[in-house]
Amino acid sequence: MQTVIEGENYSVEWDPTTRTAALKGILRLNGLLEYAPIAQFLSGAVPAGSMTLDLQGLEFLNSSGIAMLSKFTIEIRNRKTVDLRVVGSKAVSWQGKSLVNLCKLMPTLRMDII
Amino acid sequence: MSPAASRFRGLTAKQAMVTVVVVVALSVAGGFVELFFDWHAKRDQVQAQVSQIIGAIDGSSVEAAYQLSPQLAAKVVEGLLDYEIIRTARLLDNFGDLLAERRRDQEAAAKSGLAEFLFGDILTYRRDLVRVEGAGKTEVGRLEIQLSPLAVAHDFYDRAMVNAALGLLRALGIVALVVGIFYAMITRPLLRLAQAVSWVDPSRPGAGLVPTLAGHGHDELGELVDSLNALLASSQRGLNERDTAQAELMALTHDLERRVAERTREVEVANEEIRSLNRILKAENVRMGTELDVSRRIQQMVLPTAAELAGIGGLDVATYMEPANEVGGDYYDILHGEDGRVRFGIGDVTGHGLESGVVMLMTQSAVRTMVTGDEGSAVRVLDILNRTIFHNIQRMGSDKNLTLALLDYRPGPPEGEGDTSVTSHMRISGQHESIIVARHGGRIELIDTMDLGLPLGLVDEIGSFVAEVTVLLRPGDTVILYTDGITEAADDQHRLYGLERLCGVIADHWQDASEVIKDAIIADVKTHIGAQPLYDDLTLIVFKQVEGTEPQRAYLA
Repeated sequence: MQTVIEGENYSVEWDPTTRTAALKGILRLNGLLEYAPIAQFLSGAVPAGSMTLDLQGLEFLNSSGIAMLSKFTIEIRNRKTVDLRVVGSKAVSWQGKSLVNLCKLMPTLRMDII
Repeated sequence: MSPAASRFRGLTAKQAMVTVVVVVALSVAGGFVELFFDWHAKRDQVQAQVSQIIGAIDGSSVEAAYQLSPQLAAKVVEGLLDYEIIRTARLLDNFGDLLAERRRDQEAAAKSGLAEFLFGDILTYRRDLVRVEGAGKTEVGRLEIQLSPLAVAHDFYDRAMVNAALGLLRALGIVALVVGIFYAMITRPLLRLAQAVSWVDPSRPGAGLVPTLAGHGHDELGELVDSLNALLASSQRGLNERDTAQAELMALTHDLERRVAERTREVEVANEEIRSLNRILKAENVRMGTELDVSRRIQQMVLPTAAELAGIGGLDVATYMEPANEVGGDYYDILHGEDGRVRFGIGDVTGHGLESGVVMLMTQSAVRTMVTGDEGSAVRVLDILNRTIFHNIQRMGSDKNLTLALLDYRPGPPEGEGDTSVTSHMRISGQHESIIVARHGGRIELIDTMDLGLPLGLVDEIGSFVAEVTVLLRPGDTVILYTDGITEAADDQHRLYGLERLCGVIADHWQDASEVIKDAIIADVKTHIGAQPLYDDLTLIVFKQVEGTEPQRAYLA
């Protein structure tokens, strides 16, 4: 695991061996402009093949963040080269509902709420 | 005369004085040694002379004593007195009687202590007179001679005087010679050296070196000149180095001054840039302030007015909206239609600021258009709204999207509903926060809208995700709509207010009027937030059937 982006209350970590990107902490950035670095990293992380997005450690994601994940999912869906798996946590209240949208946007996405 | 020169003159005098003392002392010592040897020689000479004299008159003296002839004896002593050194001569017979005696009277009185001291021990001679006849010897008398000390010392004195005079002359000669040589060899070169040194310019010691002293090229003075010149040269080098260093320092100082001036100019330029940026920033701040004002006004100006809300018969409606410092894109609308129908719209545009405000305004217009057009199919309504907003957002070059739930409230039960306790119902479509229904008695029911749609503006086609649910309402039921600004309001520990706490407040106040419930919720949310800034807009709608009205009947009629 290496930390690729670190903010005041959050971090984005990347494990190249398992191709897992993990978002952790509290993400309350203002608008998609502030989410751009994270979005750029996620969309550039895996050109093709499997990729896991681990959100279990993400305690909070505001609506702009959810929009960012939605757009990322749409991009992956359109690219058709990446097999995306999203791992969420039942313990984190926002994820249960919000992550459903990702499945709607990309039916082939594997969603594991642990 | 320079002090150095006088000092050297003084040196010459001192040296001369010392030389005089030393030479005189040596001369005196030498004179005394000479005198001593002279004295010895004189004594030997006197004794030898006396022996010779006595030997010469020995025969005649013996004869005079033997014959006891005073005449003969007188002749003998007379003869002795011819010798200047003899003062007294006496001839005695063998009985000790005086035969003849002679003395220099004029000299008897003349006495000299020094002469007595020098020669006193050799002044008196006694000679026994012996007559030799065959083998026998007969003593016939005695000869006594007394020498004159002055006569003896006279020669010695003369020699001593000559010696002293010569010694003095010699001493003076040596002194003159030594002083002269010393002056010529040491003092004069030193004086020249001192003069040459006095001519040296202290500011340029190496400019005129001390000239080599003639004849002193390879001696100590020559070495002294060399050392002095080396010292001067070294001093000049030191001065040169100092001058060079000073010049370098000056150059550095000038360079530093130039650089400081340059830097000052740069700083001034930078300052000007900063001032310019500041002006831009101020302008930007003003612009942003204006933008926020505009955003806030856009948001506020399209909200339903209090008069509108009061005009909704049969429903007790309370609303609340507080924009965040940086306005979020919360949207709500309440449109009163025919037959007691009330259309509610609530949504949340992502992000903050003018763009979110514009999307919110767009949404409001589009929703109102659709409501006015009275499109019956929720799928069609949301699909058209999504496409309108999606394409407009694309045109804006924006990346906004929004949640949007639409409520179509209708008095009376839905078609085919047999339960007569149902006095009204509402159809809900679109994805937004869960809608809360507080049932009569305080039971809370949550209507999840996740499966009723998708955020608008994200993709151009959402029709397949849109669905509609119908919720039946009975008297006393209260419906609460809100945005995530309420549920995600955070305290200083980043604890979210949460849906559970919201439901708790509603359950406690289910019987109260909408206004009271709304106030209770807002007060509780504000308590939770404390001093934290408001991150997002707070939007809240509470409505319930007005007690005692019978919308069902109105609807049926």
